[in-house]
Amino acid sequence: MKIAMIGWEYPPFKVGGLGTHCYGLTKALADLDVKIDFFMPKFSSGKPEGSKNLNIKEVGITKVFPYDRPYEEALDDDFFESVYTYNRLCAEKINGCYELVHCHDWLTMQAGIAVKKKLGIPLVLTVHSTEYDRCGGIYPNEWFINIEKTGMENADRIIAVSNFTKRIIVEKYGIPEEKIRVVHNAVSPIGEGKKRKKVVLFLGRLTIQKGPEFFLRAAKRVLDKEDCLFVVAGSGDLLPRLVNLAVKLDIADKVMFTGPLTDEEVKHIYQISSVYVLPSVSEPFGITALEAVSAGTPTIISKTAGVSEVLKNSLVVDFWDVDEMANKIVALLRYKPLHKMLSENAKKEVTFFTWDRTAEKTLEVYNEVV
Amino acid sequence: MPAVCLYFEVHQPFRLNRFSVFSIGERINPAGTYFNHELNEKVFEKVARKCYLPTNQLLLDLIERFNGRLKVSFSITGTFMEYCDAHMPEVMESFRDLVKTGCVDLISETYYHSLASLFDDLTEFEEQVKLHRDTIMSRFGFTPTVFRNTEAIYDNRIAKKVEELGFKGIITEGTEKVLQWRSPNYLYKPVSSGNLKVLLRNYKLSDDVAFRFSSVEWSEFPLTADKFASWVAGSEGDVVNIFMDYETFGEHQWPETGIFEFLRHFPQEVVEKHGLEFVTVGEAVNRFNPVGEIDVPFAISWADTERDVSTWLGNDMQVACFNELKEIGRMVKEKDKPELLKLWRLLQTSDHLYYLSTKGLADGTVHKYFSPYEHPYEGFINYMNILQDLKQRVMSE
Repeated sequence: MKIAMIGWEYPPFKVGGLGTHCYGLTKALADLDVKIDFFMPKFSSGKPEGSKNLNIKEVGITKVFPYDRPYEEALDDDFFESVYTYNRLCAEKINGCYELVHCHDWLTMQAGIAVKKKLGIPLVLTVHSTEYDRCGGIYPNEWFINIEKTGMENADRIIAVSNFTKRIIVEKYGIPEEKIRVVHNAVSPIGEGKKRKKVVLFLGRLTIQKGPEFFLRAAKRVLDKEDCLFVVAGSGDLLPRLVNLAVKLDIADKVMFTGPLTDEEVKHIYQISSVYVLPSVSEPFGITALEAVSAGTPTIISKTAGVSEVLKNSLVVDFWDVDEMANKIVALLRYKPLHKMLSENAKKEVTFFTWDRTAEKTLEVYNEVV
Repeated sequence: MPAVCLYFEVHQPFRLNRFSVFSIGERINPAGTYFNHELNEKVFEKVARKCYLPTNQLLLDLIERFNGRLKVSFSITGTFMEYCDAHMPEVMESFRDLVKTGCVDLISETYYHSLASLFDDLTEFEEQVKLHRDTIMSRFGFTPTVFRNTEAIYDNRIAKKVEELGFKGIITEGTEKVLQWRSPNYLYKPVSSGNLKVLLRNYKLSDDVAFRFSSVEWSEFPLTADKFASWVAGSEGDVVNIFMDYETFGEHQWPETGIFEFLRHFPQEVVEKHGLEFVTVGEAVNRFNPVGEIDVPFAISWADTERDVSTWLGNDMQVACFNELKEIGRMVKEKDKPELLKLWRLLQTSDHLYYLSTKGLADGTVHKYFSPYEHPYEGFINYMNILQDLKQRVMSE
């Protein structure tokens, strides 16, 4: 089978989970003997490497941007111009003998539709997040929604990264369930390191969607009872507000803001943390939870995160219930048997979340349409 | 042909409230905050209407109809009786009516359906057994002669203690771990004991009803009274012990499965068609003699497929809570505070540890079915928070 896949980023150039996903998926699909031409924007320097069955093809020139909704200040013509140009170039340049075209999220949907029509081949669309997730429940932007809806309507099959996302696609976008398949994400295990004493970690973009405010409010509750360090890792438009909040809550000396981290730093911070919290307001999957547990760090996950469907050895909370979040953080810090069991069992469990498995399921979806 | 011994366990735990780490040491009335009375009352009433009341009525009718030839035995836990007092005295009344027929035997156990038999010191165990015995005496005017430990937990040490307490018989699981090639349909005696007799549950026949009755994948589905009675009649031995949760009738197996019809027709098949006799556990112990010894150095039970105590003490969280219970107990006993002793004992009910089992994550849905928690980890946090609160209370007394 030969397919065209349209992406937005690919390691070493990545800003979000989409790059990690495309990397893991394409490698594993190539191992299953699927021939892939992977299309992506051209960056100013270097080029990601392909492999047997996998060709990386750069299209045009663009700057790197966050793969999903950009920060408010970046919501300008530049960004949309780049997306538009990239989609137009893909539509023009993708030619040849493919059995299907596979694209990811709104960034590449228009190109996907154009290629489908031009070459007369089926379109598979993976939905990693929707506008309803990214806006965190506040002012969803109709412009994105329309692109997403058109993409979903034109897709022959939609791959949702969780049942949670599948429900959104059905309920908010009115797409028939029969067209949607759920394929959960995988993780490349990080491996265990030496734990420091009592470090509680948030890691993710600092946006409303990811719920960092709830993390800080829970931190305040925890610090009434326990002495520990809270780490907020990542960057985003909420950063100034969060720093202010930490000062206002009088916990600034116990909260560390790291700013953006390198891959190595991310690994390290997962490894030394005693608890990982994923307080997302709306999270299609939440691959970071799998990364954390693969580093032996027990995880507290928002109920509105797709990963909570599949990771049994974790604690779940409502993202807004900061008292319960704090209760669980304290329990993990205090009760060693709980910490040990969650750490060990989750680490075992996460070994089943392989990219091979994700690729096999993706291939099943391909076979349904070709 | 063997006699038939039917025995039902009747139990409800005091399920716990959500208790946050922030409530520890807050000194709110603990009887109100440790236990979720609203949920407990709801569950009890539901099960009473689905199971206890209709099944008691059915058994009463059947005993009358067969003129005393149908006999059954019950173990009724202390916590269950407290529920009856608090919410539905008519349930207790209906059990009393059954006992009055003279065809019903009552079985002794720990009042709180606890794991006190697994403490290194058996004083608490003894106290709970006596408490239960006194309660049964005052409620039913009845003195049990046969003992069944919580979920049939049994080992040589427990058997010895039970004999010391004056019982004639003890009930446990007829597992191959202990029996090897031998049949559960005979009585045995514990190794190096005097006169105590052991009744062994025939788990195959018992689970045919308790677990498999409504399982459509089972090759013997549907199970009719006729078929089941013929299996029992075809068994070798002195007595076939069919022991299960009473809630099998109408609760684990819903009325739509035909479980009540099954029960209605079973005595007729046994007594009239096959000419077998029903016996109570007390009668079985009086009538039959042991055919051999059983040696059980490590505790067995009738729980899960392992038939050991791993259901309650199978993971680190469970062991931590159990040790905490022991520790609190040591402190409670030093103070003369009946209300703290009562709380400690209510928290000993084995169900609280059962909910923390992580076995269900891999295989069974059984644990999940019975658990008020979404997850054993949640259960642990909640239970441990409560234990910490009680510990602080006891220490500050």
